[in-house]
Amino acid sequence: MWNVLCALALLAIAGEGRSAADPTQPQAPYMQFVPPAAGTYQLQRIQRVPEARLLDRHARVRPLRELTRGKVTLLTFFYTYCTDPWGCPFAYSLMTGLRERLMAQPGTGGRVRFVSISFDPTVDTPEALRLHAGAVRSDARLPWEFLTARSMAELTPLLEDFGQDVRVELDKQGRPVRTINHMLKLFLIDRGGVVREIYALDYLHAEMMINDINTLLLEEKSATLRWFSN
Amino acid sequence: MSRKKWSIGVAFLSLVTLAFSSHADETCNSPYMSKLIKGQEDFVHVWTLGVEGLGDGSDKLVTIDVAPKSKTYGKVVHSASVGTRGEAHHMGFTDDRRYLWAGGLSNNQIYVFDVGTDPARPKLVKTIGDLTAKSGLVGPHTFYAMPGRMLIGALSNAGDEGGATGMAMYNNKGQFVARYDMPTGEIGGVKGDGYGYDLAINPARNALLTSSFTGIDNYRRNIGELLKDGEAMKRFGNTMVLWDLKAMKPQQIFSVPGAPLEIRWSLKPGDNWAITAAALTSKLWLVKQDAQGKWQAKEVATIGDPSKVPLPVDISITADGKGLWVNTFSDGMTRYFDLSDPEKPQQTYARQTGKQVNMVSQSWDGKRVYVTSSLLERWDKGGEDNEQFLRAFSWNGKELQPAFEVDFTKEKLGRAHHMKFSAR
Repeated sequence: MWNVLCALALLAIAGEGRSAADPTQPQAPYMQFVPPAAGTYQLQRIQRVPEARLLDRHARVRPLRELTRGKVTLLTFFYTYCTDPWGCPFAYSLMTGLRERLMAQPGTGGRVRFVSISFDPTVDTPEALRLHAGAVRSDARLPWEFLTARSMAELTPLLEDFGQDVRVELDKQGRPVRTINHMLKLFLIDRGGVVREIYALDYLHAEMMINDINTLLLEEKSATLRWFSN
Repeated sequence: MSRKKWSIGVAFLSLVTLAFSSHADETCNSPYMSKLIKGQEDFVHVWTLGVEGLGDGSDKLVTIDVAPKSKTYGKVVHSASVGTRGEAHHMGFTDDRRYLWAGGLSNNQIYVFDVGTDPARPKLVKTIGDLTAKSGLVGPHTFYAMPGRMLIGALSNAGDEGGATGMAMYNNKGQFVARYDMPTGEIGGVKGDGYGYDLAINPARNALLTSSFTGIDNYRRNIGELLKDGEAMKRFGNTMVLWDLKAMKPQQIFSVPGAPLEIRWSLKPGDNWAITAAALTSKLWLVKQDAQGKWQAKEVATIGDPSKVPLPVDISITADGKGLWVNTFSDGMTRYFDLSDPEKPQQTYARQTGKQVNMVSQSWDGKRVYVTSSLLERWDKGGEDNEQFLRAFSWNGKELQPAFEVDFTKEKLGRAHHMKFSAR
């Protein structure tokens, strides 16, 4: 069902066409350049991933360190009931497509993982995550972890560290409605736990992201070769 | 899910997130980071140079209420002093627009103001003092948001204080990430001069464009003396550089004589051009892809009478890319150019808005235009010509009509420089 909703939302968006685009509204990122080839550039070392303890969909406590080390990680924040077509559904669709491509890419299996962390630990319980992630096919070639926190108090420092601002939309009477405003960001993390790229909506170019991931994979290969040559 | 559970969830989130409830925009910001606002801005924040003997003499972020229905419309509602004087110049929002980073040209400090918690009362929350130690650069000028980080264009270097400079990247936590030098070698038959000024990004083209000005040995010098020094006047930038944004590598160098300053990409989706004004030659230059996709720079218009050195300084492009405000410092003029054909800009309106004018910022809907007065501490005019103000105008497409004015000298604030908008 989730996939169907995503597909419908994206189809509706695609039908709008760019010529009618309102520059004040979020739009689908579009890429009018040939991305530099993987391994021909260096990604910056932006910041270290902080420590945090989260819950997976089986209600097991998982240190974030365990989920951001040893593999190249693409991490994002979301909430299960998000309906903003340029928010979580877009990220989900994009990540699904990237995952398929990376799993089909020779030599990538087991070296990349995806991580999605909920903004709302109260609503997004492990049970809610299980339902939400039900459509994601389990595949050891590229695991996709869905996580929540035990409390907002435990999640807040993590959101702050990642620079994820969130706020609940209010109605005219000042009452909260069922929308959490947040800035969509995806974080690309190297196997040492360092954030190497951050993508906001206008930077979510699938081709470029594949090249970035491959750039980090090539770095690993170079480091391994250097280690053996020493 | 129960209603009670949902209420608790949103209540938790409300508590921790009310602090982040600010938006802001103007067309000269990095446009790609956060949702833009179309309507009325509530506040204009002015990064203001302290003047010795005036008020506390320190640089400060001055906040002016610009909401027409407010009881304090047109009044200064807050002033956040940094407690020292270091030549306040430009500033920029972080990608989420919660914080304003503001630079001191002479003390190389970067002041981080929280404008998200209460845009009516910005608060200095951090001072980043390691720019020079980490990067060797001085004169932090442009603050341009990238996802999770800030790209800072500097004007000079700590070694010889000349024009060779670069860019420094910091993450949003205020930690230094990397330095990138302006090119001094030759690319495509044009030699880089190493100078820097503004920078602007077009993510859809993977393009970063930079412009060039001069070193601290010139911009911290008295303008009268400088103009008489023929050798010193040769030490201004004459190039623009197109970078591969992802790789942060220069791809093309353009010859753009006369210190090309502010850069504005057309924000219209699909457009592939940016415009700039060369200060010393008084020309508008267009940087655009040709039919083969190669970037080209060409002179497209003259601003005023170049022989009188009107000195175009700031520019402000309309949201649809069809118009451009240009301020010229020397004659105090605010000019409007029709950019319907960016290859042939046509001046359609001009009005003197001050005895000296520098920055110009328009609202996203183009209906309001704000002008400030200060260029550089040692380049501002003297005596009665040294007006220091923010002047607000309404624009009906034909005429600028004065709305209100804040006299920064009378209010004992200082020299009014860069502006940013915010809304509640």
